[in-house]
Amino acid sequence: MTRDRTIAVGAIVAIAIAVAAPFIASSNPDGLESAFFGIFGAKDIHGSELDEAAAAAAEEQVKDITGNAFEFAAPFPDYSIGGLSKTGEVLAIVAGTVLVLVAALGLGKAFSRTE
Amino acid sequence: MHIPDNFIPLGQAAVYWIIALVFIALSLRWARAEMQEEKVPLVAVLAAGIFAIQAVNIPIPWGTSGHMMGAALAAIVLGSPFAAVFVLTLVLIVQGVLFGDGGITVLGANIINMGVIGGFIGYYGYRGLKRVFGNPYPVAFVAAWLSMFVGALACAVEMALAGTFPLGLGLVSMGLYHAVIGVIEGAITAMALYLIVTARPDILSRESGVTAG
Repeated sequence: MTRDRTIAVGAIVAIAIAVAAPFIASSNPDGLESAFFGIFGAKDIHGSELDEAAAAAAEEQVKDITGNAFEFAAPFPDYSIGGLSKTGEVLAIVAGTVLVLVAALGLGKAFSRTE
Repeated sequence: MHIPDNFIPLGQAAVYWIIALVFIALSLRWARAEMQEEKVPLVAVLAAGIFAIQAVNIPIPWGTSGHMMGAALAAIVLGSPFAAVFVLTLVLIVQGVLFGDGGITVLGANIINMGVIGGFIGYYGYRGLKRVFGNPYPVAFVAAWLSMFVGALACAVEMALAGTFPLGLGLVSMGLYHAVIGVIEGAITAMALYLIVTARPDILSRESGVTAG
């Protein structure tokens, strides 16, 4: 394949993964969250049941432990776009993917080695 | 493994930020010295692909899930751990700022765990094992698995320093979950490396040792 074609195929693969992600991704807590809930008693380390109330309490408790109560309201929390459910997630992840692509191209051009 | 805000005291988070900024500066210096302009589209496609694949959480046992990190892949394909720092920093900024995936005050810690540790363990693990075992794909699997596992243990140590996790239980639970998530990292890294080498053997940096034999 030529270079341009390889890059195009790569970009298409990335966008295809982004479109599929909301439909195939698991909503289970990730490794760090799961460890956190386990340690704070909202979940057994080896269990799969999550106590939602205890999980919410743990998220408050940790602020007292670390003293870091910083809250940041991301515009599209958890890859969601207000009002749109799965469609919103697809749009958010595709937009994020395209943004990363464009930003990396721009930064790459700015910082790459020039002969 | 994205640490949210609130998990680390601000003072410690600032220290991680400073360390991360040093590595970001070094990654920009790497780009200036080593990243030829013709490599930029490859870097960008890898970054986009890593962002997308990080949105795919795969279920593992114990009601948990995990996703690919991509640092080892970026470092191996682009031939430098600093390439992983460059790519992962960009991905983590977009995730944190736009999507609330990973905190802002703790972004430095996330860049260290995933970009720096992931990139360095992935790259040097690959280089070292490649010299001994030869075949790049199983070696990439093991190096990528290690990059995830060591990054998770570092995260557990940070959580212990923060007072958030007790050290022992933190290491055990983070180690357990990420030993399994590392299999996802290893499998996708080896597969992606195979596909890239098959499609375009010339695209790989010589340092990755796949084309150089």
